Amino acid sequence: MGGSAAVRAWGELDDPRRRVLIQALAAGIFSSAGNAAAQLLGRTPARLPSGQSIYRVSGSVTVNTQQATLQTRIVPGDTVETAPNGEVIFAVAEEAFLLRGGSRMVIEKPPSGLTTALRLVTGKVLSVFGRGRPTRIVTATSTIGIRGTGAYAETDPEQTYFCTCYGVADIAANSDPSSRETVSAKHHDKPLYILAKGKAGEAIRRAPFINHTDQELALIESLVGRTPPFVFPVDTYNAPRRDYP
Amino acid sequence: MRRGETIRSVALGLALSAGAPASAHAAGYSEFLDSVQFRGFRAEASYTTDSNVTRAPAGDALSDRILGVRVSAGGVIPLSTRTRVAVQGFAGIQKFGTYTGLSNNFIGTQGDFFFRSSGEFTAATYGAFVRTAKEEYESTLRDGYRHAFGVTVQKPLTDRVQLFGGLTRNISDGKSTVFDARNTALRGNADWTLGRWNTVYLGAEYRTGDSVSTVSRNDPIRTLGFVNTASAIIQDDAFNDTPRDAYRLKAHTVIATLGYNRAFGERHAVDISLRRAQSSVQNAVAPASGSDLRYTANQISVAYLGRF
Repeated sequence: MGGSAAVRAWGELDDPRRRVLIQALAAGIFSSAGNAAAQLLGRTPARLPSGQSIYRVSGSVTVNTQQATLQTRIVPGDTVETAPNGEVIFAVAEEAFLLRGGSRMVIEKPPSGLTTALRLVTGKVLSVFGRGRPTRIVTATSTIGIRGTGAYAETDPEQTYFCTCYGVADIAANSDPSSRETVSAKHHDKPLYILAKGKAGEAIRRAPFINHTDQELALIESLVGRTPPFVFPVDTYNAPRRDYP
Repeated sequence: MRRGETIRSVALGLALSAGAPASAHAAGYSEFLDSVQFRGFRAEASYTTDSNVTRAPAGDALSDRILGVRVSAGGVIPLSTRTRVAVQGFAGIQKFGTYTGLSNNFIGTQGDFFFRSSGEFTAATYGAFVRTAKEEYESTLRDGYRHAFGVTVQKPLTDRVQLFGGLTRNISDGKSTVFDARNTALRGNADWTLGRWNTVYLGAEYRTGDSVSTVSRNDPIRTLGFVNTASAIIQDDAFNDTPRDAYRLKAHTVIATLGYNRAFGERHAVDISLRRAQSSVQNAVAPASGSDLRYTANQISVAYLGRF
C-alpha cells in the first residue's frame, strides 16, 4: 500500500467503476434517488433550515397560483391552495401547518400587535403556533383568536369545525356576535362546530373529534423546533389496527 | 355519564366490602376512576384460510377456513407525564369450517405499562405487558389458559415508517400436558404509511420452544420418529377423520407477515394479510430427520376492524 504505484495524482482515474461513480455523483443521480427514497420512505422531521418553508408537498399544490415545490418560500401575504389530491406541510416563522386537499388558505400580513393572521377560505388545516404569540384565524363562519395553540379547522360556507388541540382559543361566530366561547384545552378537550346560521347565542355547538392525529401535531411542531405538550399520542385518533397475539 | 356512575358504585361497593371507612375509600377510588381514560370498544371480524391447521409436515397438513370475531374494551391510566398503564379486556370466537374441534371461545385481559421520554416525534415508547386468556374448544384437550408476558418498543423512524419490536414469553396450560407449551418469541414489525389511510406492514417473528404438531399414523417410520422426538403425546380429539396424534416438540419457528390496512376514517378499516410460518424441530431423533418433522403453514386473512 505504501508503494508509489498506489498513489496517483488527483484526477487520474484508472478504475472504470470509480469513473462511473464520480460521473453519477456529478449528475446528481444519488441526490434524486435520495429524494425519491424520501418520498417513498419518508424522513425524520426536524426544524426546517432557514430559507426553507415546505417540508413535504404531494399532489397539486400552488403558492400564489404557482406550482409549489420543496424550494418554494412561503411568507405572509401568500395564498396556498391544494387540489383535492394535494397536501402540503410547511412553516412560516414560528408557525407550522398541514394543509389538506381541497383547501385554500391566505397567510395575511399581520395587523399590528399580532404576529400571524390567517384566513382559511375553504378546506382543512392543522396548525401549531408559537407560545405567547397572539394569532387570529378567520374562517367562513368564525373568527378565532389563539395563543400558543395547536388547532385543527375545517371550513365550508355552512359551518366550521374547530378543535383546540391544546392551548387557549377565543372563538366567535361571524354571523352572531353573541355566540362566543373560550376554550382552554390540554388535549383535544372541546371540539366545536361554528355554524353560519344559528339562533342568537347558539351558533357554537359541541362536535366530535375528527380528521387529525397527535402524530401529525408532533410532526409539524418538530418543523419549528418544538414538541407538543403531550407525551403519549392517543392512538384512538388513528385507524384501528389488527393485533397478532 | 351513566357508565361513570356505575363504575363509581362498584368502587364504593368494593370499599365497603373491604371493611374500610367507606368515605375515605370512595374518595380515593373516585379520584382514581376520574383519571381513567376510557378508550372505547373495538371489534374485529375476520375470515382466514389456513393451509395447515394440524401444523404437520406435508402429507398430514389439513387446510381449513376460519371465521373469527373479537371484541375488546380498554382504558388508559396516566401515572405520570411520561408513564401510563393501559388495560383491556377481550373476548372472541373462532369457528373452523371443517375441523370444528378446533373452534373455540376465548376471554382474557391484558395490562401494559408504557414509558416515553418525551413528545418528540421520533421518541421511542417502551412497554412491558402481561396477558392472560381462557380458551374453551369444541374438543377437550386444548381447553385451558394461555398466558404471555414481555417487553415492547415502538419508534417512528420517519414520517412514513414506524418500527415495533417485542420479546414475548408464551405459556399455555392445556387440559392435556401436550398443550402445556412454553416458547419465547422475538418479533419485529415495520409499518409503512402510504398516505393517511393506507398502511403496508411487514412483520417477522422468531419463536423457539414448544410447538404442537398433529400427525396421522399412516407412515409408521415417521410416526416412530415423532414418538421418539416428542416430549408429550396424546391422541388429538380435535380431528375425527382418522386417528391423529398431537406431539409436543421443541421447534424453531419463523413467521413472516405481509399486510395491508385500508382505513375508512378513524373508526373503520379493512385489513388483508398473508402469513407464512416455517417450523423445524430442534432435536429430531431417529428414525426421523429434521426434514421429516418440518412444516409450513400459510394463512390469508381478511378482517374488518371497527372502533365504537
